[in-house]
Amino acid sequence: MKDQLEALSSAMFAHLGSATSEKELQELKVRYLGKKGELTAVMKCLATLPPEERPTAGQAINRVKERFEEEFTTRLTSVKQAEKLRRLASERIDVTLPGRRTAVGTRHPVTMVMEEVSEIFAGLGFQVAEGPEIELDFYNFEALNFPKDHPARDMQDTFFLEGERLLRTHTSPVQVRTMLRHAPPVRIIAPGTVYRCDSDATHSPMFHQIEGLMVDKGITFGDLKGILTIFLNQYFGKGIGMRLRPSYFPFTEPSAEVDIACVICKGKGCRVCKNSGWLEILGAGMVDPEVFRHVGYDADAVTGFAFGMGIERLAMLKYGINDMRFLFENDIRFLSQF
Amino acid sequence: MIISYNWLKEFVDCDLPPNDLADLLTMLGLEVEGMTGVGAGFDSVVVALVEEKAQHPNADKLSLCKVNDGVEIHNVVCGAQNFSVGDRVALARLGSVLPGEFKIKKSKIRGEESCGMLCSLKELGLAEESAGIMILDTPRPLGTPLFDALGLKDTIFEIGLTPNRADCLSVIGVAREVAAKLGVAIRYPGHELLENGPPIATVAGVTVEDSDLCPRYAARYLSGCTVAPSPAWLVSRLEAVGMRSINNVVDVTNYVLMEYGHPLHAFDFHRLAGGKIVVRRAGEGELFKTLDGQERPLLTSDLTIRDGDRSVALAGIMGGENSEISPDTTDILLESAWFDPSAVRRSSKRLGLHTESSHRFERGADIGIVTRALDRAASLMAELAGGVVAKGILDVYPKSVHPLQVPVRLARINAVLGTALTASQVVAIFTRLQFDVREGEPGFMTVTVPTFRVDIRREIDLIEEVARLHGFNAIAGTMPTARVFSDRPPHRQTVEKSLRDLLTAHGFSEVVNFSFFGSDLLDKLLLSPDDLRRQTIRLLNPLSDDLAVMRTSLLPGLLQSAERNLSRRSLNLRLFELRRVYHPVPGEELAHEPLHLGAILTGRRHPEGWNHDSAAIDFFDLKGVLENLFADLRVKGVTYDNGTLESFYHPGKACTLSAGGEAIGSCGELHPDVLGNFLIEQPVYYVELNFEKLLTKCGAAIAIVPPSRYPDTFRDIALLIDADLPAATVLETIRGQKIKELEGVELFDLYTGQGIPDGKKSIAVRVRYRSPDRTLTDDEVTPLHGRIIDNLVKKLAITVR
Repeated sequence: MKDQLEALSSAMFAHLGSATSEKELQELKVRYLGKKGELTAVMKCLATLPPEERPTAGQAINRVKERFEEEFTTRLTSVKQAEKLRRLASERIDVTLPGRRTAVGTRHPVTMVMEEVSEIFAGLGFQVAEGPEIELDFYNFEALNFPKDHPARDMQDTFFLEGERLLRTHTSPVQVRTMLRHAPPVRIIAPGTVYRCDSDATHSPMFHQIEGLMVDKGITFGDLKGILTIFLNQYFGKGIGMRLRPSYFPFTEPSAEVDIACVICKGKGCRVCKNSGWLEILGAGMVDPEVFRHVGYDADAVTGFAFGMGIERLAMLKYGINDMRFLFENDIRFLSQF
Repeated sequence: MIISYNWLKEFVDCDLPPNDLADLLTMLGLEVEGMTGVGAGFDSVVVALVEEKAQHPNADKLSLCKVNDGVEIHNVVCGAQNFSVGDRVALARLGSVLPGEFKIKKSKIRGEESCGMLCSLKELGLAEESAGIMILDTPRPLGTPLFDALGLKDTIFEIGLTPNRADCLSVIGVAREVAAKLGVAIRYPGHELLENGPPIATVAGVTVEDSDLCPRYAARYLSGCTVAPSPAWLVSRLEAVGMRSINNVVDVTNYVLMEYGHPLHAFDFHRLAGGKIVVRRAGEGELFKTLDGQERPLLTSDLTIRDGDRSVALAGIMGGENSEISPDTTDILLESAWFDPSAVRRSSKRLGLHTESSHRFERGADIGIVTRALDRAASLMAELAGGVVAKGILDVYPKSVHPLQVPVRLARINAVLGTALTASQVVAIFTRLQFDVREGEPGFMTVTVPTFRVDIRREIDLIEEVARLHGFNAIAGTMPTARVFSDRPPHRQTVEKSLRDLLTAHGFSEVVNFSFFGSDLLDKLLLSPDDLRRQTIRLLNPLSDDLAVMRTSLLPGLLQSAERNLSRRSLNLRLFELRRVYHPVPGEELAHEPLHLGAILTGRRHPEGWNHDSAAIDFFDLKGVLENLFADLRVKGVTYDNGTLESFYHPGKACTLSAGGEAIGSCGELHPDVLGNFLIEQPVYYVELNFEKLLTKCGAAIAIVPPSRYPDTFRDIALLIDADLPAATVLETIRGQKIKELEGVELFDLYTGQGIPDGKKSIAVRVRYRSPDRTLTDDEVTPLHGRIIDNLVKKLAITVR
């Protein structure tokens, strides 16, 4: 009996030590400790021993059983761990493969500029205003001090429509409409689509502008410069050079063209700025008293400034677009870069 | 406006380098748009002396010359005959580049070496034709660059003048600005006028009948003129500013036009019937041949200059062929007048006849300079054409125009500009501009504006002058003090932004198409003849037929964008446009311009890639986007109804979209015929929503349901229903059961085909139950579920499988 136990015990531990999988281990457990297991069989033989030998033999068998169970547990843990490491190693992927993307679209650059400019001016307390694109002569010209038969009308080639109407040539009619509806103070920014019958490499018959208007007591030309300086610094980056030079718009006086230092050559002179070092970026001025008269404001009580700029130009400078036509071709290879 | 620096210097002392002058002008509001150096690059063409001239041994017509350029003696072979030893000539040294990229190189001509070239006027681009080489009459030392020696070195400025600055449409006008800025005096041209003829009134007469359109008409008479080519200085002056020389008489009128900015006209006196001028409106149905040879129909609103019988000029625009200066003209009536700007502009615009003269009159010429310009021209004409000037001027000027007096307040100047200028600073500025200032009470002054500044009528005009001369960049930027008011962006802007956010997040890129298109595109959409979208607003002057009407739908533009991309092999597209369409409104001045959202999708559902399947987009991809969109904007009660359909959709795969019972748009697969019309060969899905209607439906209040802490129970139902029974009806019937434990219903399977009878479809629905306050037991759920099934069977006559 004792010999039999010793032989069995050494076989058991030898097998346990060489088992490499959980399955093998479980099979060993059944083989030795199961109901019909080999150690169980030895246990059953206890009954055939003389009663005085039974306790010693029983204890010996139990010791073997306990040790087996102990080692089984240890062994099982390490085999499981090894199996897990093997599985993890086999699951390695190539993380450089492209990800599973969903399609993401883009805003049109014209929209991006409109939103950005509106946002900058919203921060300065300007509210977004809109107006019709199909306009009446009164709002587009007359109230803005472009008299009939005046050469200033030649500055803007107009598309005319049936029924004495026209396509607005600038966003300035929004100024008139706003002032007719609201008493001062007024602070608006009016992005919108405008039209001029002109089409070549640098002109599109449809394009976009943003108009700004601020009217209140005591607004000065210096304030116009201050607001525009803030805007240009926020849009083009801090410290951008800027200059104002006298110009003419029927609805502002004094009127100015505003130039920024060329963003391409930093003012040194290049093809884009025609070697002047400056880029014309917007038109501005103090609201002409004649406009105030048309909208029923008292020109002695309030003053104001207005400015307008071309969105396409802002977009082209900011994003380095060298051909205006890209903006209206809607080629997805162009659009998807924004 | 083209200005020659040399000419300008006649009137003002200015030695600024051309670049600095350009800056000065630009910063005064006379924007220099271009500059050309005349004679630059010709510095190696120099004054030289012919010291020897010998016959070429191998060519009869060539001579061998030794020419001294002050530095060395050059051997030059020359083909001209018109010079001799001792003549000063123009030598192009080796390395010179003459007009036409003609490089002067050392060469052998018939075996003799030639180092340079003796130039003709033509070779230097100074004349169109010339005989022989230039012989110079100049005291300048040998070696002086030719253009310096001839005084031809010049800079030509192209100035983009704004329409208000009529006073700068002349050399003197620009000189006045330079003088004002530099604080120097201006020199007006002097002229000596000898009136040796008879008193003018004995020879000619002027009557102005329509003085409303012609407040001033002045004339002088010259006899015994000889029409001939102009002298070189006059030709080159005119050419420098882009004008062609015609003859001495016409050139003088053009010279004074450029110098003073005042248009003049010379008539052949013998061709004026009755020797008189009558200024009045044209006759009914009159035809008039202008001197460009064109017959022009006149209206009774056009002002004409007439003789005793007929029109001889279109006032302020162009003269007539019937009275123009010809080679045998001897006696001349010279006109200097002032015409009403609007009248000139109307006639010139209508006739499409824009001239140097009409350009100035319509912007406002100087009525005060009428006779001065006339005298200047008469004196030049007498000098150059040898005429005798009659005594006196016929000057019909019934209502003399006095310089305007404009009051201006110092406080107002500083209030508008944000400056702290003193009265003396302001007075100094006005004085430099040749404005007389009378100071009244402290801070108040009255400014007398010269007649040449037609743009200055009001205080604000004077304020601008102060700012301009003071310098815009000398005014400091400040921040305004403003009153506070609510500036939260309006609802529609928030919704527009949300829509763009949502669509871009769903893979759609924004496009911008022109707002006008060709009306043939509406035919391509197969719209019925009475479709409202065929009522378009037409442009009267479109750039082309395909940009001729305002769009009434976003679809054509999107399809054109799609086609362009597809033809460039971008096959998977999701594009949207959120812009206006334009509808006429009968009886209204303005149009209806609702904002619309249009979107198309075509190609594969997922981007191409190793880990995506290549399934194509279908209707439910589009609908899924819309469902997200409506959820995001909190639009309640959206229905998809395929009852009444747009003509451009696939009849079985499209629907009308409604919210709260009102139609807000449509969506579906486009009809293959429509796609064919736009040369598209793959299925395209489209949605168009009326943003204005959408706006009224979105933003439903949020009312949350607290999430239950208890588990759910679900039961599945498999149903056999008629193929054309909308699934939505089944779901609505279940939801309509007002069972408070009913948490949700999902359709999770749809099947037709084998095992399903024709005309039927099988759907599977999962009904989820949950209570907010306890765990539901089977005993509770079973009767609820039974009620739902009974109701389905009863209401919809369907079979539960």
